[in-house]
Amino acid sequence: MDWNSQSSRIVVLRDAADGRRSEALEILSGRGGGAVIDLVSDLASCRARCASVAVDLLVLESGLRPIAGEPIEALAAIGPPLVVLLREADAAGALEVTRRGASDCVQVGIDAEGRLPLVVQEQARHGQRDRAHEAAERRIVELEDYTENIIQHMNSALVVVNAEGAITQANATAEEVLGAAAGSLLGGLVDDWFDPEGGEPSLIARTLDEGVSWKGEETVVRRSDGALVPVGISCAPMTNREGQRSGAVAVFQDLTEVKQLELQVLQSEKMASIGKLAAGVAHEINNPTGFIHANLHQMNEYLTDLRGVWKLTAELSSTVTRGDFAAAQSVAGELEALSRELDIDFVYSDFAKAVQESREGSERIRHIVQDLRDFSYRDSGERVDADINECVDSTASIVWTMMKHSVVLEKEYGELPEICCYPMQLKQVFMNLLVNAYQSIEARAKETEPGTIWVRTRIAEGGVEIEIEDTGEGISPENLGRIFDPFFTTKEVGVGTGLGLSTSYSIVERHAGQISVTSEVGRGTCFRVWLPERAPAPEPADG
Amino acid sequence: MAKAKRLPRLLLVDDEERILSALRRSLRREGYEIRTARSVPEALAVLDSEEIDLILSDHMMPGMTGLELLAEAKRRQPGAARLLISGWSQAVAESELEALGIRCLIAKPWEDAALKQQLREALAWSAAGTEARHTFGSRAR
Repeated sequence: MDWNSQSSRIVVLRDAADGRRSEALEILSGRGGGAVIDLVSDLASCRARCASVAVDLLVLESGLRPIAGEPIEALAAIGPPLVVLLREADAAGALEVTRRGASDCVQVGIDAEGRLPLVVQEQARHGQRDRAHEAAERRIVELEDYTENIIQHMNSALVVVNAEGAITQANATAEEVLGAAAGSLLGGLVDDWFDPEGGEPSLIARTLDEGVSWKGEETVVRRSDGALVPVGISCAPMTNREGQRSGAVAVFQDLTEVKQLELQVLQSEKMASIGKLAAGVAHEINNPTGFIHANLHQMNEYLTDLRGVWKLTAELSSTVTRGDFAAAQSVAGELEALSRELDIDFVYSDFAKAVQESREGSERIRHIVQDLRDFSYRDSGERVDADINECVDSTASIVWTMMKHSVVLEKEYGELPEICCYPMQLKQVFMNLLVNAYQSIEARAKETEPGTIWVRTRIAEGGVEIEIEDTGEGISPENLGRIFDPFFTTKEVGVGTGLGLSTSYSIVERHAGQISVTSEVGRGTCFRVWLPERAPAPEPADG
Repeated sequence: MAKAKRLPRLLLVDDEERILSALRRSLRREGYEIRTARSVPEALAVLDSEEIDLILSDHMMPGMTGLELLAEAKRRQPGAARLLISGWSQAVAESELEALGIRCLIAKPWEDAALKQQLREALAWSAAGTEARHTFGSRAR
């Protein structure tokens, strides 16, 4: 490789006061080719040149004498290799030259003609190699900074673990989510965070053991303050050049806020359904309140009647005690007349009847309020084993208050195993489906026949199936595909939120179940919800 | 022509038996002859079989609403006063009541004394109406 062809950059430093031609320039330019040679006469210009362009080599023509008062060590310290041209008069030898920081030297008049180009070539090559190396090193540092910057500032938490499950890298977000002090995660076992109870192997542990990946799974981590935090996690195994598993990388997000928002949507959607029910419930409460109220008023009058009879009875008793027979006879006559006038036998029996009926009424109110209160509860956030028939039935009994005037409700409950679920959320699904069924019956053209809603439950394929079928107006084929979309509604503004069915869909999905619908315009609609008996464990993302 | 003086005859309609029971209880000493019906068809059967002076009907009932019953009652016995009672708030528009000549909408739960007063007024009105029709009828002859 001819160094000249590489357009090396050489700076020749000479003493301007010298007045002579530059020997180095002469020798080197005589070789022809692409080397760029700059002549400078002081250290400051030399430094400036080296700072502005990539210089491969410095050549010092003026021997080892200080240049403008600065020693040649200063020149050597600039960076590029330094070659010194020694004159015969220079007493110092090659050893002295290298001791003072130069890379090489040539003796003018002895071997400069032949050796200078060779030395220059070699040193320039060194210089280039050094610069390339430096550039590569700089680039590596830059890339490291760059990736470190991304990792530290990304919005997701990231941890990298080695094959033993020890954390080798964790970003600031990971420390924040786990509530760990800066730098304290490194070296710790990842399972201390992701599997604090030591129960089922954590998703990361399974990635290390089985090499499986996870995508957007939900799991829980225990923060350093002991709080359990829901996180969404994606995790993949890492392999080294030999193809062996060397660890895993996991990215996760704190879902606390998402979960709270989800709950809020659920709760507000539920409150919207309750709003629809309110009028029906008011009616249902006003009926018993109406007759209890009237009965109380009447019982008060009965009490007045009885008080009158009691007064005479007491008087009768006192006349008998006194032995005043005539007075007793007269009071007895009054008593009989009053009893006849008031129809006191009827008053007695009807008083008892009014008490009994009022008691039934208040019991009915208590039930309605109880049902409503049960329905407005939130789930505790933990799955529990629940009786689906009970969930369906208690929901149907609330909705029934609003629909009983226009709907016949047919219940066909099968015997079901208990289901591990969020019962309040499922009740909301049933509520949405029942209210929809009712509204769709109400929306039919006016008919004298009441509509029918069938509520059926049965065991089906490793779980249970709940079917809610109505004889309502039905859903058109073009709408049928969109009914589970958020905010899709065919109801008037203010009647439907457009979130009922999409909420129902996501609740069923959360239970790893399925919801499906068949409908015919003018005939009715049938919704089927299938729920597995046990929610399955998450499935790895890769096949 | 002298008509045998009889007690005012009331028809109470509600699908809720306890309501009818409570109404009958509070009107016991008001001096009315009381008929009750637990459904619209039952009420129509009563209207077809005897003269009624006042109908007090619940609004929300299976099959037909109280409003629809009162519209039908207006055709069958126009002389009877018509009152609606309901626990369903804002279920009926004022204009609908007026169109059917319904004297008032009584809300459940009701005040005993107010109810009795309203019934008395409604009966006085319908009796006056009947009187007027009789007078008009005799003059036409």
